[in-house]
Amino acid sequence: MMKSFFKAPLDIEILLDNEDSRKHVHGNLPLYEDGESINGIVTLRVREGKRVEHLGVKISVIGSIDVVKKADNGTNEILSKKPLDQFLCLSYDLCPTGELQHSQSYSFAFKDLNKRFESYVGRNVEVNYYVKVTVLRKSTDISKIKKFWVYLYKDNVSAITTVSNSLSTQQQQPTAISNGENAGPAEENGQSTNNHNKVADPQAKQIKLDIGIENCLHIEFEYSKAQYSLKDVIVGRIYFLLTRLKIRHMELSLLTREISGMKPNTTIKDTITIRYEIMDGSPVKGETIPIRLFLGGYDLTPNMSCNYFSVKNYLSLVIVDEDGRRYFKQSEVILYRTRE
Amino acid sequence: MSYSSSLEKAISSIKKQTYLIQRSLNKRDLMSALKYASLMLAELRNPKLPPKQYYEIYTLIFDSLSNLSLYLIDNHPNHHHLADLYELVQYAGNVLPRLYLMITVGASYLQCPNPPRDEILKDMMEMCRAIQNPIRGLFIRYYLSQTTKQILIQKLKDDSDNDSNLEVSMNFNCQYIITNFIEMNKLWVRLQHQGPLRERKQRTKERKELQILVGSQLVALSEIIDDNFTIYKEKVLPVILEQITQCRDVIAQEYLFEILFQVFPDEFHLETLPLLLDAMLHLNPELSHDKLLWSLVERLNVFIVRQNEGLNAVDGMKEDNLFKIFWQFVSKLNEERPDLSLQQTIGLVKSLLNLSLKWYPESVENLDHSYELVLQKYQDLGDDPVPIDSECFLSDLILLKNIDIHEKDRTNTFLKLVSQSDSYRKLLSLQRLPLQQDIINELLDAFTMGFFGTNSEANASKEIINSKVQLEHILSMCEPIIKSRISLLTPKEGNNNITEDEAQDDDEQDETFIILDANQEKLAKFTHVIINSLNNSEILYTVEKQMECLLILKSWYYKGGSNIKYTYPSIITNFWKLIRKSNKLKSRLPKKKSYYDDVIKKLFKHISRCTNDLFNLCGNSYTDAIYKFNLQSASLADQLSLNEISYDFFSQAFTVFEESLSDSKTQFQSLVYMAQTLQKTRSLYKESYYDSLIVRCTLHGSKLLKKQDQCRAVYLCSHLWWATEISILGEEEGVTRNFHRDGKRVLECIQRSLRSADSIMDNVQSCELMIEIFNRCLYYFIHGDESENFLTIKYINGLIELIKTNLKNLRLEGDDEDLMIDTAVQQLSRTNISNSQFVQDIDDTLNPIFMGEDGSYIELSKLKGTPANVSSKISSAKMSNLIRIPIRHYNGTREYVMNQSEIDDRFKVINI
Repeated sequence: MMKSFFKAPLDIEILLDNEDSRKHVHGNLPLYEDGESINGIVTLRVREGKRVEHLGVKISVIGSIDVVKKADNGTNEILSKKPLDQFLCLSYDLCPTGELQHSQSYSFAFKDLNKRFESYVGRNVEVNYYVKVTVLRKSTDISKIKKFWVYLYKDNVSAITTVSNSLSTQQQQPTAISNGENAGPAEENGQSTNNHNKVADPQAKQIKLDIGIENCLHIEFEYSKAQYSLKDVIVGRIYFLLTRLKIRHMELSLLTREISGMKPNTTIKDTITIRYEIMDGSPVKGETIPIRLFLGGYDLTPNMSCNYFSVKNYLSLVIVDEDGRRYFKQSEVILYRTRE
Repeated sequence: MSYSSSLEKAISSIKKQTYLIQRSLNKRDLMSALKYASLMLAELRNPKLPPKQYYEIYTLIFDSLSNLSLYLIDNHPNHHHLADLYELVQYAGNVLPRLYLMITVGASYLQCPNPPRDEILKDMMEMCRAIQNPIRGLFIRYYLSQTTKQILIQKLKDDSDNDSNLEVSMNFNCQYIITNFIEMNKLWVRLQHQGPLRERKQRTKERKELQILVGSQLVALSEIIDDNFTIYKEKVLPVILEQITQCRDVIAQEYLFEILFQVFPDEFHLETLPLLLDAMLHLNPELSHDKLLWSLVERLNVFIVRQNEGLNAVDGMKEDNLFKIFWQFVSKLNEERPDLSLQQTIGLVKSLLNLSLKWYPESVENLDHSYELVLQKYQDLGDDPVPIDSECFLSDLILLKNIDIHEKDRTNTFLKLVSQSDSYRKLLSLQRLPLQQDIINELLDAFTMGFFGTNSEANASKEIINSKVQLEHILSMCEPIIKSRISLLTPKEGNNNITEDEAQDDDEQDETFIILDANQEKLAKFTHVIINSLNNSEILYTVEKQMECLLILKSWYYKGGSNIKYTYPSIITNFWKLIRKSNKLKSRLPKKKSYYDDVIKKLFKHISRCTNDLFNLCGNSYTDAIYKFNLQSASLADQLSLNEISYDFFSQAFTVFEESLSDSKTQFQSLVYMAQTLQKTRSLYKESYYDSLIVRCTLHGSKLLKKQDQCRAVYLCSHLWWATEISILGEEEGVTRNFHRDGKRVLECIQRSLRSADSIMDNVQSCELMIEIFNRCLYYFIHGDESENFLTIKYINGLIELIKTNLKNLRLEGDDEDLMIDTAVQQLSRTNISNSQFVQDIDDTLNPIFMGEDGSYIELSKLKGTPANVSSKISSAKMSNLIRIPIRHYNGTREYVMNQSEIDDRFKVINI
């Protein structure tokens, strides 16, 4: 805030390697992935004829989880923002104490940088990554940050190889994990990037549910999988075993749930990310309605989980009757990011 | 995405979007075009549009999407790849626009080279399941079928070089269309059950409007299948039939069967009849099977007619007995569905008849079996009276109404049915009597037409009753008519259940009236027509055969009791005809003379039998006619020189006269008739039959009740002693010498009648009769010598004097009343004005009165169109008016004599 009142005696420019050719996402931020080195050049420009004394120049890379308070009036205006946890903070000195008389560049490198979380901008929580250059001074330090965005990919070679021998394993799978909670593997996956193989396992069991309202509606639906990559297609079908409802239409929604805060003061924020009509009119007993939803075209958030917050995704099947009443059933699905 | 509130707004919105799509495409901005397209497609989401309006906007949108499709094809893959677009359009949030776009892109893709054809086709079909609203679902599936139709045909063409590929393709295509068909049908049926109950009618109407969408699938199927019968029978038909039977919906079942019959070739139907009929057994009980069966039969009938015209041999089906298959169907249906109404059964059987008549025109057995089914049903109904509204169906069935069959074949068929089908006769005999009579009447009309022939064409194929058994059958069928009575009191109402008492009543009523009875008249006509047809037939029917026929007719008509008075005359006249025919044959074939003599005698005997029957059964009311039959027969016998027979008939006539003719007026008429007949006989002179007969006749005349009748009868009988020439026998006045003439007897008769005339109290009558006698005398005077007839000029002149005196007395009598008469008579004697003018001149106020031949007064009315009043006594008339009758008569005669005397000298001696 104060910076706007004082003209800083020097400009700091952070230029990342290959920045122009790098993919940019989320408001034009350069995209990095886990384990990728962050290299670049910092240029300090001194104003003409000025000399700047400093106590050293430091470069750091920071990943933090922040709590954000946003206005609830729909403008999403940020009211306050405070860091919750800085899970990543690496820094080193670019140069020792001295005096800058003219512009000078320093290259920097954080080799094979481990990034635990995906970048995320949610309703209450954000995960931010940035590179920060600080020129330490006796008076106010001069600093500059450069944000970047991080995707965590959970596909790898093993996922593809398992496809080839999928037949045998797939059949074993339902019994193997039938007792497990849906949420179980999701949390596991979110916690550690080391578990890639497990997450990307395409054998994730299909979701099959049998629900109903007594003497009124009885349906059975299935989604081919419980876990989807963000580029995936949700395929499924709904069997109507009994319908006494006069259904106007049916839709499938994808709900993204952000849970933040420590127990018992957790805050839950739901966002409907996709709304997709899948049936028009009222089916009779015995009808089967196909479901096919391409996810690739939407900007979705993969599941995340850490001590401070979690993001979960739910598929919600909504039946709307002639009188406008809505009946729905949510089932959790796990979304993950793959490279392709 | 929302839709417009009204049809007009929807249409203008669609037009606007269509324009925007086109503009975007021109700029190669496909994304915008798709956006506009999906806006346009939102109009199809409107749930309020009735089918017709929905169809209207559907067609607009269809055209618009077709243009889009053209662009998509043209620019693939240079500007876009349709596989990508196929995915892209699926992001649309609303399912209906999404599917339309998807199908549009998918179908466009399929028209480009090397698309993943089967996958896309299947995918589009599968995705259409998302539309469960009946109307919207039907239309999207219709859109799918419209856009993929050509693709499927192309697919077949592509695979046509390889047989196994072709088969796979064919299977795929059929399954594809069938799937769509089944889903559409389900939606269509479901529509019926939507919305509130009170709108059911509305739903039904809407469904009828939408039926063509479902039907179009069967049309598409038939185009794909073309002439591939194997796949039709094995893969297509069973599935379709299953769907039709399973949907249990009356409208769908009726319509789809109808379409099925229409769109697939007749040969297919013929080959798959068992399948079709079996399916028809399992339809909704509310459905009218009869209509369905009828249209199938009509279809097959058209086929056979075409085949026959083309002179192509009909394949195996005919031997397989098509009829049997249908018959089994109907009888099974009857068995399984005892609740079928009689009317429905009738409808079904009508189809059977229709089929049999076209395919097996010769088979009566088939028809018999068909009627047996109705009969069975009818009997199963037990004592329940057949509802009146079903009756007309029954009658139509019996009369083969509404069945397309040539008129001559119809008669022929009736003939066969009546004579060979027990069920037919039985069924007819079970009907309510009036109905039966109506039906029989129509049958008789048909026979009459058939036998008689109305034109030359019909003549060629005239039907012949070829056995006595046949005739017996027809007549036994006619029994209700033969026995029918017409009710006098309530002629309009049915007169069934006539008890004996009522019949008796009728008889009594009949004594006073002879009423025209249409039924009996028809029987009489039938008699004539049959005998006539036998006469004209190519096969020679001997007189004896014809006689046998008549005897059969006679014995059946005899059952009608007093009805024979209507029917016997036709038999008697036909006997007469046969007699004349035999006589002709006899003279032509001298060898067979004795045979024909024998036949003729037999025939006369039968006539005699008939008249006896008539006499015994018809009572007094009919004696006059019986009397005349006898006389006519007598005359005929005389002409054939069968004097014994002739005498016998005359004597029978006298018996009737003496025993039964009591009415004096009839007696007089009868004697006149007798005298006429006798006067022409020639064969009775032997053994003095003639003399005894004429004496008896004259005697009866002289014994008549009224003097004036006696007078007239006797002077007419005088002619019996004065035979006149019958030129046809070669007689000639002046040449033929041996006329039976006896002038003395003539004079005696004249004198006897003059005595009667003279003794009548009524002067007018007396005078008139004298003038009549005077006229007779003139006849004899002119036609014979004085020596022969004893009617001398002196006698005549004396008679004239007597008449003149009487007239003068009459005039004096009349003077008291009206002096005008005198002048009138004088006027008349001077001038030549006609009688009617004369009457008008003297008195305009009175109606002119004349006297008839039998002495009754005839009072003419001056009002035109009013009938004359005829009676034996005129009470109101003034004397002066009556006096004019003899005066007029006398003047007429006098005038005649005076005119004649100018050219014939013999008249000059008459002193008039």
